[in-house]
Amino acid sequence: MEEITVQFMLNGKAVRVETPPAFTLLRLLRERLGLTGTKPGCERGECGACTVLLDGEPVNSCLILAPQVEGREVLTIEGLADGDKLNPIQEAFIEKSAVQCGYCIPGMIMSATALLDTNPEPSRDEIKTAISGNLCRCTGYTKIIRAIEVAAERIRKR
Amino acid sequence: MTSYRYIGRRVPRIDARDKVTGRTVYSTDRYSENMLRARVLRSSLPHAKIIRLDVSRARELPGVEAVLTHEDIPGHNGFGIVTPNWPVLCVDRVRYRGDALALVAARDEETAEEALSLIEVEYEPLPIIETPEEALREDAPLIHEGGNIQHSMDIPPKGDVEKGLAESDIVIEETYSTQFMEHAYLETEGGVAIYDEEEGVITVWCGDQYAFRDQLQIARSLDWDPLKIRVIGSPTGGAFGGKDEISVQIHLALLAYYTKKPVRLHWSREESIVAGPKRHAMKTTFRIGMGNDGKLKAIDVKVVANTGAYDTIAGPVLNLSLESSPGPYKYPQSRFRGISVYTNNAMGGEFRGFGAAQVVFGLEQELDKLAERLGMDPIEFRLLNAVEEGDISALGHRLQTSVGIKETLEAARKTDLWRDREKIKRDLNAAARYKKFGVGVASEWHAVGLGVGLPDFSNIIVEIHEGGEIILRTGAIEIGQGNLTAYAQMLAEALGCDIEKIKVIHGDTFESPDSGTVTASRSILINGNAILDAVKTLQPKLIEIAADKFGIPGDELEYSDGRVSFRSDPDRTLTLAELADHAGSSGVPIKVTGTAVFATSDKDFGDGLPHNYYTYITQIALVGVDTGTGEVEVLKVISLPEMGKAINVDGVEGQCEGAVVMGQGYTLYENVVVEKGEFKTTGFATYILPTALDVPEQETVIVEKFEKSGPFGAKGVGEAPTVPVTPAIVNAIYDAVRVRFKKLPITPEAVLEKMRDLAGTEER
Ligand code: FES
Ligand code: FES
Repeated sequence: MEEITVQFMLNGKAVRVETPPAFTLLRLLRERLGLTGTKPGCERGECGACTVLLDGEPVNSCLILAPQVEGREVLTIEGLADGDKLNPIQEAFIEKSAVQCGYCIPGMIMSATALLDTNPEPSRDEIKTAISGNLCRCTGYTKIIRAIEVAAERIRKR
Repeated sequence: MTSYRYIGRRVPRIDARDKVTGRTVYSTDRYSENMLRARVLRSSLPHAKIIRLDVSRARELPGVEAVLTHEDIPGHNGFGIVTPNWPVLCVDRVRYRGDALALVAARDEETAEEALSLIEVEYEPLPIIETPEEALREDAPLIHEGGNIQHSMDIPPKGDVEKGLAESDIVIEETYSTQFMEHAYLETEGGVAIYDEEEGVITVWCGDQYAFRDQLQIARSLDWDPLKIRVIGSPTGGAFGGKDEISVQIHLALLAYYTKKPVRLHWSREESIVAGPKRHAMKTTFRIGMGNDGKLKAIDVKVVANTGAYDTIAGPVLNLSLESSPGPYKYPQSRFRGISVYTNNAMGGEFRGFGAAQVVFGLEQELDKLAERLGMDPIEFRLLNAVEEGDISALGHRLQTSVGIKETLEAARKTDLWRDREKIKRDLNAAARYKKFGVGVASEWHAVGLGVGLPDFSNIIVEIHEGGEIILRTGAIEIGQGNLTAYAQMLAEALGCDIEKIKVIHGDTFESPDSGTVTASRSILINGNAILDAVKTLQPKLIEIAADKFGIPGDELEYSDGRVSFRSDPDRTLTLAELADHAGSSGVPIKVTGTAVFATSDKDFGDGLPHNYYTYITQIALVGVDTGTGEVEVLKVISLPEMGKAINVDGVEGQCEGAVVMGQGYTLYENVVVEKGEFKTTGFATYILPTALDVPEQETVIVEKFEKSGPFGAKGVGEAPTVPVTPAIVNAIYDAVRVRFKKLPITPEAVLEKMRDLAGTEER
């Protein structure tokens, strides 16, 4: 099939990339842009492993077609750290041992990022709701929720 | 008490930084320019003869590089951890919906998909056997030539169970049944393979649990030198037992061999549910006898497992069901019998808990019923019957390693949730009148290690490089549980060095030694002991190097805390970096190996039974039952595991928290629904996993005991916490609404129905 070109902002930088028009954003990121931090867990919008931020909103990148991101802003897990300096959510996930196999973690952190960007003082229930579309089979969510609480406190103190 | 720098503390994981930045490369993250995409043609019927399989049209499709059938398999057309009768590609018969018939490799996914649709298969349908009951009927068609019984086990009886039951004051009998359960690791089975023609080496990257066994299984099917097959199995995006068996490995190796190009195969979620192994569906019948004094007298257990179409590791799973079924309690007389039966249902296989979850669900309800008959507190009742170190178990072997069941029960009794449970329930009920609340308890012993007679060993390598970098090589796979961090902790502690200096090279058949499989909660104990063994060899070696450097006899030197120093002048030292530099300059790098083998039980019932090490655990659950909707909410779970010494406190908590939620899913929501061999659950919209909104508040109370033969006193904890949580929840539901369940999962409909039945009987 004829490929098309899409241009968008990816992790703060303008990109221009060729893609089959039927590619999902998930596949575009992984197969054309080399950003494999965004994970496929179902490719049907049912697990959240592929969560990225599209214009600041968390979306399942497996449900977005590549041409839909034309002219928009995409943030992935690779765009969170500033060089070697991790963002407070990433730091808290390490410190609170919220990571096990790690496969759900990029999606979790992107959902948490979207939450804390708009709601710096979330209740525990708001945190649970924000990550309720992100399945994790390893952790039972306890330490993930705790890590997000700790990150929120730190961000507020800054 | 020894005070440790790393052991028994909360140590951040050594792999966490890469995981939170998205830098960890899982095997399914590998892409390259000319990489082909592979797909598997699966059977469209659950049971049938294959009359014709024609791939010619698919082969002609432009962009297709290979279409393979059973004719293209150079070696043994089968795999299986114990008996390799699961076909790589079916020849003349399909036995379940996940059976593979053909492989396609093409330039892209779309072409591969199209090629699949061009393969023509003609079937002659055969009767579909869904359950062991059907399979055992006289006139049932045979799924395998040898008959429909895959395995049977009759543990030599202890005493005379019939006599024991006859002499009991109270005898109860009940049958429990459980469903197939999906592992649902977030990373589905997948990987990449490359064939290096020049070297004659096929490399397969595939998240697994035991790269060395995969290597042998691939070699057997390709008729290839195993040493020319490199498997890189780590890291894995979740496994839980489901990646111990072959999934994509042999298919990938075949396609790489035939196409001579890099090939990628990654199962869809639906394919993972349909084709991969599940937790066995089982039926368990208990007959238990007790005296009026509350002492258990006899137990008779029968287990029937629905194992699906092929063997994989079903025999050992059934055996462990039997071993787990009496729990950590004393019974003077016992008998344990089981059979595992072929069907055309889902494939039964290895799953965290390994046959225990199915039986403990029933046992721990039976014990609650017995306690209630005598008006005894359920914890008192369990304490009265619990085993101690040195006791003879229900199976008849001596418990010669640490036994902490009583300590976990005592600790459970002291928790606020247990002590104040009546008040807690009352207060909750005052705030939500339409709900009823209950608290339940359950315990388990869970075998650690593969068991007597099986190859239960580990090898590891420790190297010290110039600059002081320490490399630990282990074949163990990081399946998510944090074992690499625990190994680094143990090595750092034993060497007295900083953990940051240690790099772990893992799960690669070319770069690490065979440390055995990562399963059976075994990898902390066995790899820890191998690490300590290596350090024991390393220390004299370091002294030798220092003696050479200083030109003095070794006995004037000593090793401690990452340095060799003069006995007479402790300030004169050589650090590990200096020692490595000296050794390096003389051309002899510092490298030692360590080995360990599991100590085994004093009895041998065959096939791994019984075990010598157990994790002991008690769990308490608080639930709320909505009397209008039947919905069960798990509000709190406390896990009290005894796993010897905790190496990483965060790691133990993490294992418990994840296992509890997995057990909650098993109890309340999860069910692989297969009707007439067809899968009705094909994704997370129909197969329901607990989300962050469903999970209870959790607490882990680590009940430490020192196991003298474990590294730093440790055993293992990976599986136990997913087992008694189920009966703890079920006992809590009973406490709340007075109804019991013999079948999982406990749906709101089932709760309402039971409550209606109960109301009916009460009115009558
Ligand atoms: S991969 Fe997108 S939601 Fe699962
Ligand atoms: S850490 Fe494994 S799925 Fe979440």
